[in-house]
Amino acid sequence: MLGLLLENIGTIVIGLFVLLLAAFAARSVYRNKKKGGCLGGCAGCKSASCCESKK
Amino acid sequence: MSIRIALAGNPNAGKTTLYNALTGSNQFVGNWPGVTVEKKEGRLKQNKDITVMDLPGIYSLSPYSPEEVITRNYLMTEQPDVILNIIDGTNLERNLYLTTQLLELGIPVVLAINMMDAVEKQGDRIDVTKLGERLGVEVVVMSALKGDGVAEAAEKAIEAAARGEKASARSCFNGAVEHALAHIEERLLHDMPEQKQRFYAIKLFERDPKVLEELRLSKEDREHIEYDIKLCEAELDDDAEAIIIGQRYQYIESIIDLCCTRRMKRGLSTSQKIDQVVTHRFLALPIFAAIMFLVYFISVTTVGGWVTGWANDGLFGNGYFLFGHGSEAYAEASESYDLAKMKADAFLNAAEQAGVKVDALRTGEATPAEQAEFLTEAAGIQKEVQLIGAEGKVVYQGEVDINDYFAAQGLSDPDPNTYGKWIPGLPVLLASGLEKANVAPWLQGLILNGMVAGVGAVLSFVPQMLVLFFFLAFLEACGYMSRIAFILDQVFRRFGLSGKSFIPMLVSTGCGVPGIMASRTIESPRDRRMTVMTTTFIPCSAKLPIIALIAGAFFGGAWWVAPSAYFMGIAAVMMSGVILKKTKMFAGEEAPFVMELPLYHMPTAKNLLNSVSERGWSFIKKAGTIILLASIFIWFTSNFGWVNGTFGMLEQNEIAFSVIAKVGGAISWLFTPLGFGNWQAAVATVLGLLAKEGVVSTMGVLYGMNDGGYHVLASALSVGAAYAFMAFNLLCAPCFAAMAAIRQEMNSARWFWFAIGYQSVFAYVVALMIYQFWKLASGGGVGPFTIAALIAALALLALLFRPGSDAKKKVQKEAERVLS
Repeated sequence: MLGLLLENIGTIVIGLFVLLLAAFAARSVYRNKKKGGCLGGCAGCKSASCCESKK
Repeated sequence: MSIRIALAGNPNAGKTTLYNALTGSNQFVGNWPGVTVEKKEGRLKQNKDITVMDLPGIYSLSPYSPEEVITRNYLMTEQPDVILNIIDGTNLERNLYLTTQLLELGIPVVLAINMMDAVEKQGDRIDVTKLGERLGVEVVVMSALKGDGVAEAAEKAIEAAARGEKASARSCFNGAVEHALAHIEERLLHDMPEQKQRFYAIKLFERDPKVLEELRLSKEDREHIEYDIKLCEAELDDDAEAIIIGQRYQYIESIIDLCCTRRMKRGLSTSQKIDQVVTHRFLALPIFAAIMFLVYFISVTTVGGWVTGWANDGLFGNGYFLFGHGSEAYAEASESYDLAKMKADAFLNAAEQAGVKVDALRTGEATPAEQAEFLTEAAGIQKEVQLIGAEGKVVYQGEVDINDYFAAQGLSDPDPNTYGKWIPGLPVLLASGLEKANVAPWLQGLILNGMVAGVGAVLSFVPQMLVLFFFLAFLEACGYMSRIAFILDQVFRRFGLSGKSFIPMLVSTGCGVPGIMASRTIESPRDRRMTVMTTTFIPCSAKLPIIALIAGAFFGGAWWVAPSAYFMGIAAVMMSGVILKKTKMFAGEEAPFVMELPLYHMPTAKNLLNSVSERGWSFIKKAGTIILLASIFIWFTSNFGWVNGTFGMLEQNEIAFSVIAKVGGAISWLFTPLGFGNWQAAVATVLGLLAKEGVVSTMGVLYGMNDGGYHVLASALSVGAAYAFMAFNLLCAPCFAAMAAIRQEMNSARWFWFAIGYQSVFAYVVALMIYQFWKLASGGGVGPFTIAALIAALALLALLFRPGSDAKKKVQKEAERVLS
């Protein structure tokens, strides 16, 4: 078991990193949606505080 | 101690600039109404207990426009602790009108005279002490743009709030009016807090409908005040509202005579001289077209295009030479090597056609005997060939023979490191790192072909976006954009749109969501709905990568593609205006368009860089979030599928069996008449609803753009189909965020679906016509869809040129009847 783990340690570490990245991205999108209805910051979106106006 | 400071003043007086300076925020400062469509709240930088509220710019506290109602309601109901009234020092007459009204609210007021640098430049002088005495308020001078006097303004406001004293201004009005006001206060307002009585009394005198509605007066009370008002009107021979306005302006004139010294002006100001040219009756539109062409040309084709090319091929591709040293020599060596190899392959093909065995030679596993046999049999073979390179251009036309085969032997792919300092691209470095870490092939594929390909495809357009944002920010900040709104008002009127409708469209060049919300400033519900429906036809910044991708992959980065997309959007707006205005739903008189043209001024580098970096960062953040997730989703659904009934990971050549291919295939038939009826384009279009950049990232993953090349994509669609694809994605329903904004502004599910349906059908028809007419022109023959495109074109012409609704004629007839 340990041998298998060590053999695939690269895959496990990088895989966890990718998962973490995706989780952060999803959290950011969720927070944006919750705050203002946009899925992500659009260039120029902040210019009329469209997110804040929907509070 | 918590204090609320409200910033109030005319549009373009500098409220938002001051707000940004006080709170450290980066709210957008524009030069046209509607930029601040709602109040914005922030905390003072030095003291978080102090709230600063940026209110929409208004000219008065009348109840006629949404901005005025928002500001008035806020000031009356929320009762901030102090009003910091920002006025434009170069235009006191107009700005002080609002000041006289603010002084009647019973809230402490501090007056901040902004743009003092412009006042001094004009050679005028304002006696600030006298002004303060006459108005009964503290006055500070400042230049918000330069940051002068900003801290002092905040200090004075905080002190005024702490003292809680309202202004002790002299009355604006003469005896007759004061008499009427006194009667009104006595009769109706004695129960109201004393500080509010004055404001309400004046509003009742003006017969303000909002106040009348709010106070719900009895019939008897209304008749009583009506009697007092009519007495005053008879005495002064004017109606109540005009009396109030006139007497305010007389009061303001007396103040200005006392407090201001003007230099004798000769001739036109610099702004007026520039306006004589840029708003010229005949030159205005060509100048506008030339400027927008230049902006897009420099952003997409030249400066931005060069940097994007480097980002695509270098940073997110195979790599690049540091400072470009060695790139030419390497490119030459690479080309020679590629040509030698292509000639050798062409010779082998020719030999094979002549019956010579070449398989072993192709794989490099030929034995000496097989090589000798080949040389004997192929010695005399010659063939005329035309060799086409990776970019689809002819690289060689002529004969190939056995000497070309010999020339290619022993050649190896040039090593870029021998020509200069070679920096490997991100994908190359990542691939090398992942190999060394012994990461599983599927995970390597996810990272390189999914995440890097998808996000990289979008991020590589950041340079073009930044250059474009820079120019747009410059045009907005210097004041030219308001001139464009003015110029296009004359044009838009002919197409049934209000000039004010163009302002949301200008905002939409950044993002459709604030553009849609900016339509709130349009008073007419019909014009507002039409603006909401058409504003997203103008390409937003998220659509720019689509334009750049199509221009780069199919048109060799041609200069005309990007401006054509922009003007296609404007044409779509105009055509929609004409078509919709002729329907009963949208027919009616256009609303008048009154707009202040601010003075031209050179934007500060700091504001420009702030604007560019803020927008650029938003774009990058979006790529790192929603685009990243979409790319991962696309990779999984394109690498997993069913083969022989078993679900699992697919080989490279089995993508047609993937989940996404199945889903895309189910809807791709819809796009066949438009020329891009393949599942990849269908999937990209659908995912573009999530975020328009998703179109590019999806193409990046599905067409393997992780090596920075467009060649696979370029071979997937014809030129006409590619332009139709671009047109469809630019004009069809916007992203989900913009759709949510449309739903909110329409305030009706029926209107929302009508808007989305209209945009989608319009986009479909336009793309159909583009592709089918291109196919016809390039000798593709006439098919059923060509006929459909012809019918669609005729229908469009009919809708454009048919007589309008009777509504306009009815209104005219009614007006004539009333006047007679």
